[in-house]
Amino acid sequence: MIDKSILLDDKKFTVGIFDDSDKLLHAVGTLKKKGVKIFDCYTPFPVHHLDKALGYERTNITIGAFLCGMLGSLTGFTLAYSMNVVDWPMIIGGKPQDISVFTSFIPVIFELTILFTAFGMVILFFARSRMIHGIKEDLLSRRQTDDHMVIAIDNAESQDLSNSEIQSLLTSEGAIEVDGARESFNTSLTDEENLVQKLMTQ
Amino acid sequence: MGHHIIKEVSQEKFVFTGRAKMVAIGLFLIGAILAGVGAMDVKNNWDSIGQHATEDVHTEEAAEAHEDAGHNDHHATLADANPHAEDGHTETAHGEEAHGDHHAPTWMNRVWANLLMNSYYFWLFSVAAIFFIAVNYVANAGWAVMLKRVMEAQSAYLLIGSILLVGIILGAKDTLYHWVQYFHSAAAGDESAAGYDAILESKAWLLNNTSIFFFIPFVLIVWILIRMKLRRNSVAEDENKGLSMFKNSTRWSAGFIFFFAFSFSALSWLIIMSIDAHWYSTMFSVYNFAISFVTGLSVMMVIVQYLKAKGYMEMVSDEVVHDLGKFMFAFCIFWGYIFLSQWLLIWYTNLPEETVYFAARLEGGYKTLFAVNIFMCFLAPFLVLMMRNAKRSPKVLLTAAAVILIGHWVDTYLLIMPGTVGDKAGIGMLEIGTTMAFAGIFIYVVLNSLSKANMYPINHPYVLESANHDVGP
Repeated sequence: MIDKSILLDDKKFTVGIFDDSDKLLHAVGTLKKKGVKIFDCYTPFPVHHLDKALGYERTNITIGAFLCGMLGSLTGFTLAYSMNVVDWPMIIGGKPQDISVFTSFIPVIFELTILFTAFGMVILFFARSRMIHGIKEDLLSRRQTDDHMVIAIDNAESQDLSNSEIQSLLTSEGAIEVDGARESFNTSLTDEENLVQKLMTQ
Repeated sequence: MGHHIIKEVSQEKFVFTGRAKMVAIGLFLIGAILAGVGAMDVKNNWDSIGQHATEDVHTEEAAEAHEDAGHNDHHATLADANPHAEDGHTETAHGEEAHGDHHAPTWMNRVWANLLMNSYYFWLFSVAAIFFIAVNYVANAGWAVMLKRVMEAQSAYLLIGSILLVGIILGAKDTLYHWVQYFHSAAAGDESAAGYDAILESKAWLLNNTSIFFFIPFVLIVWILIRMKLRRNSVAEDENKGLSMFKNSTRWSAGFIFFFAFSFSALSWLIIMSIDAHWYSTMFSVYNFAISFVTGLSVMMVIVQYLKAKGYMEMVSDEVVHDLGKFMFAFCIFWGYIFLSQWLLIWYTNLPEETVYFAARLEGGYKTLFAVNIFMCFLAPFLVLMMRNAKRSPKVLLTAAAVILIGHWVDTYLLIMPGTVGDKAGIGMLEIGTTMAFAGIFIYVVLNSLSKANMYPINHPYVLESANHDVGP
């Protein structure tokens, strides 16, 4: 099994769990305003403006898409040209066998551009977000993949506010559950196994 | 958070200043004078145009060679094996020497063709605008509601544009449409006559006076009435809240789109495709629609940027403009797709009666414009507007819109000129002057209409959705 390196086992987090994306968004804004450094947010669906609120920059993956598309175009052209002109020239419809039949290459170029862009984007996206096949995600709350949203603040990071102040802030922002020192658990194990493992390490 | 939610749209009204009026009228006058001088110039130098250049000698040879090559196939379909007139060289490959009384293009051909081209080009903007309004109603789209009055103003040109278009078609039909000339000739309807043309005879059910005198005006009147209804609803909505106007407009829009799909196709056949009456393409009406929509969106973009530069439309966020830019981008690709669909099949099949259309456009002076057309209408906007930042920068958007508009001006030129003027066509004072004059009329009508109503349809149910529109990351 591959460990995901974003959440490490020995890290402790202050978490606020929300059941409303608007409250979560507002809470993130308030925490940021107070100078609290947020580790990450975990939501079961994309929350609009959350990336802006967390101060994330826009992804550059679109440039990758363009390059993949260019690669596809080039491949398509090379493929069609090398086959129809260089390797095995065939007379089709009385057309010449040189670059002047570029029109007939266009469908090939088009299709391969799409194919390369689509596959390239999937591969790039999974690579960039480290979603490798077979990975078992570390969760902070079991329902973060269902209907709850989590704000995670790394306890190791130095903050302007004390831990209890952050917790009360989260509560006042409408968190349904607040925890001062939560560890992640692995989804490959059941709740009981996680508990047993935790008790055994203590 | 930084995301401010707009709960109320503050109303404003566009003022059509005297200076803007002067610019529009000035543009019209200068354009008209230029066109007049250009027309006289063309008239006086008519015999020397297209004769001295060495390139045109090749054109004639190529056209002749093409005619010979296509001769057997093409004329085999004619009922009458009439030897074609030998004076048919001044026009490029058309096969129109098939009928007896052949008209060589005169300088009036160029003037009429030029008027037809420009009236059609500007008319397409207003057609696209009314279609866009209707589509937004039918699709229940909210993002563009803040721009609705711009679209309405743009569609205001439909009335005067249609009058100009119909007037020019009626004036030009004897000069430009060789099927009109054919049906006036003695050979029409007489199978034993020398110039009998079976292809044109088979199209007589569509290409006749009823279509020109009644069908085109009928379609245009229906469009204008629906446009008036939508505009009245929109203005009345400012006064009374509620969904009644919205629902009524949606119904009219649905009807309009249904009618539009058929009638626009028929108009594009009658007005443009019948210039090359022997030729036909099933993609042609879609091609014309693609030109219409992408130019209409580009004009809309220019108007929005103009208004923003003048300090209006502060409420219209970058997000809405971004989506309009996306629409431009998408329909550049759409045009490229339709162009390819038409070209690819004709190129592959290589049937003489179909290739005449492109043969005329790939020889002589048109070859450069053909390449320029593809570059400006598809390649350049495709590569530039692909970037997100480009769609959020007014300068890049304006440049792209200008490139698209000039590109499609060339596109319309290529639709009309080869079939009407042949190798005597050119872009000179006449063409540029006429375009300026039409642009003057268009600007005056649009800005005048814009100043007649409030800037935002404030009681439209989706106005806040549009004001708060967000395209996402």
